[in-house]
Amino acid sequence: MILVSLVLLIVPFVFSRSMVSLINEMLIMALAGCALNLMLGYGGMVSFGPAGLYAVGAYATAILLTRYGAPFIVAVLAAPVVAAIVGAIVGWFCVRRSAVYFALLTLAFAQIIWTIIFEWYDFTNGDNGIVSIPIPEVLYVGSNIYYFSLAIVAVCIFVLWRIVNSPFGATLQAIRENPMRTEFIAVPVRRYQLAAFVISSFFLGIAGSLFCVFAGSVFPDYAHWVKSTDMLVVCLLGGIYNFAGPIVGSGVYILISKVISKNTTYWMFFLGIIIVFLVLYMRNGMVGFAAEKIFRFRNKLGAGNGEGKS
Amino acid sequence: MTIEAFIGQALSGISVGMVLFLIAAGLSIIFGTLKVLNLAHGTIYMVGGFLCYILTSKLAHIPGAFWWALLFAPIAVALIGGVIEVLLLRRIYSQEMLYQYILTFALILILGDTCKFFFGVGYQTVSVPWPVNGNIALWGLSFPTYNLFLIGCGIVVFLGLSALMRYTSLGSIVRAVTHNRETANALGINVPRVYTGVFMLGSYLAGLAGTLMPPMSVVALGSDMAVIIECFIIVVIGGLGSLPGAFLGAIILGLLNAFGIYIIPKLALAFPFMLMIVILIIRPWGLLGKPE
Repeated sequence: MILVSLVLLIVPFVFSRSMVSLINEMLIMALAGCALNLMLGYGGMVSFGPAGLYAVGAYATAILLTRYGAPFIVAVLAAPVVAAIVGAIVGWFCVRRSAVYFALLTLAFAQIIWTIIFEWYDFTNGDNGIVSIPIPEVLYVGSNIYYFSLAIVAVCIFVLWRIVNSPFGATLQAIRENPMRTEFIAVPVRRYQLAAFVISSFFLGIAGSLFCVFAGSVFPDYAHWVKSTDMLVVCLLGGIYNFAGPIVGSGVYILISKVISKNTTYWMFFLGIIIVFLVLYMRNGMVGFAAEKIFRFRNKLGAGNGEGKS
Repeated sequence: MTIEAFIGQALSGISVGMVLFLIAAGLSIIFGTLKVLNLAHGTIYMVGGFLCYILTSKLAHIPGAFWWALLFAPIAVALIGGVIEVLLLRRIYSQEMLYQYILTFALILILGDTCKFFFGVGYQTVSVPWPVNGNIALWGLSFPTYNLFLIGCGIVVFLGLSALMRYTSLGSIVRAVTHNRETANALGINVPRVYTGVFMLGSYLAGLAGTLMPPMSVVALGSDMAVIIECFIIVVIGGLGSLPGAFLGAIILGLLNAFGIYIIPKLALAFPFMLMIVILIIRPWGLLGKPE
């Protein structure tokens, strides 16, 4: 943990500018992944629409800054609130259905968000997106924007970590394992799922807002369902049953897509092959796979020393 | 709007709807039997489109090249589907839904880039084949013949599939597997083979749609993403796994796409999704599906 944070702190001194912005992207994707994974891995709710809420966060910041000239802090802080409100409305409908119907509902809502962004020229600038968003100059000094993202992502991921390890997180996992039984012990299942949906939306909104600050522009594509599948892949790559899964997944995913796309235009092909391999042979993702290996290795070691009896 | 424009608009909406029906029917049959929501179904359709383009352009010197393409392209697509089912999908039926999504999503990437490799990134067109080119006069009004041809194809496939499912022994085997996999297995039905067959049938339908669409539209990368979303809407409206549902859903979506733009242009793109949400909330099994 400490090692990782140290490495992340000295990144701007060691790596080139482009590498730093790549890591910045990874951080934001890691946050989005963790936010999604609260639903996916802990709640067992497969959402196809995280990008919709991510885009709501990004556009909230962008519109407040460009249209209303709001102070930067206000624009950034408003993003998660707006995303959470939208998430509450969308989630209220979605948690009424489960499995494939839940997934299709989230997909439909995200596509509606995309349509609104795409069509409402007067407010969102439509498919032109919003460019040259006035970001405070101070963030462009040195690597300030990187530290800005790092600080916010670190705090958010810590909060998410506390949430999944709280009684709330445990209840959520119980719902994932068996919703009916959980209902029988007097847990209001839907209310918990809605809460997970709103919390997830809140953090997706932060991730969107951070990306808006980082990129200085927003586009309707942020809400598109392909972006949602990106986030799902990030979670799966790392492993959805480990908290660190999406964080590792984000790093690997962005690295893979950038490295392969630099060498060939057919990077999606190779990404697809990697995903197929992952689904067929490493179902718990990379972190899950590593954890299992370490566990086995420890057991072996323990048995060798005559300590591990079980 | 004049009456001619109105009917013309309705016909073109329904004819696009019929092509979408072919794709959605495949998606729905696969979901009904295999319980897999195949995200790559639209991409399989796109492969059909590229095959149609390549066959018609390579066979341009042969008269009726398009009809040869119509014969062979869907069969090729069905074979690709068979390979996919045997090599990949078969291994994840017992897994959670999420893995199916991600695996079929990976197929989108792989098939999409394969098309890019072989057919390039340009927009390809296929001209409307004889004898269904030109216009036809009905009740004193003139309509593109190809639109009517597509509607005919849709109806023929719908009736043919319904008959296949209802009256043949093959159909009853598929229905038995769909209804209860274990019992069907115990009765000596080779369930894995039925799965492969159904997946190939679904792919065949997507390939058929892919071959029929190019003369009306263009073949291009990315068309798969637009199409799969429309198919989701159709199967949700009609009911996941229901064939008549897919037929009805396709007509509704076709008309909604054709006329939505006249009602509230700004919301035309959102109408189908709103309908999808309303259906999912009040009647998740769809208009013609059965509650579980």
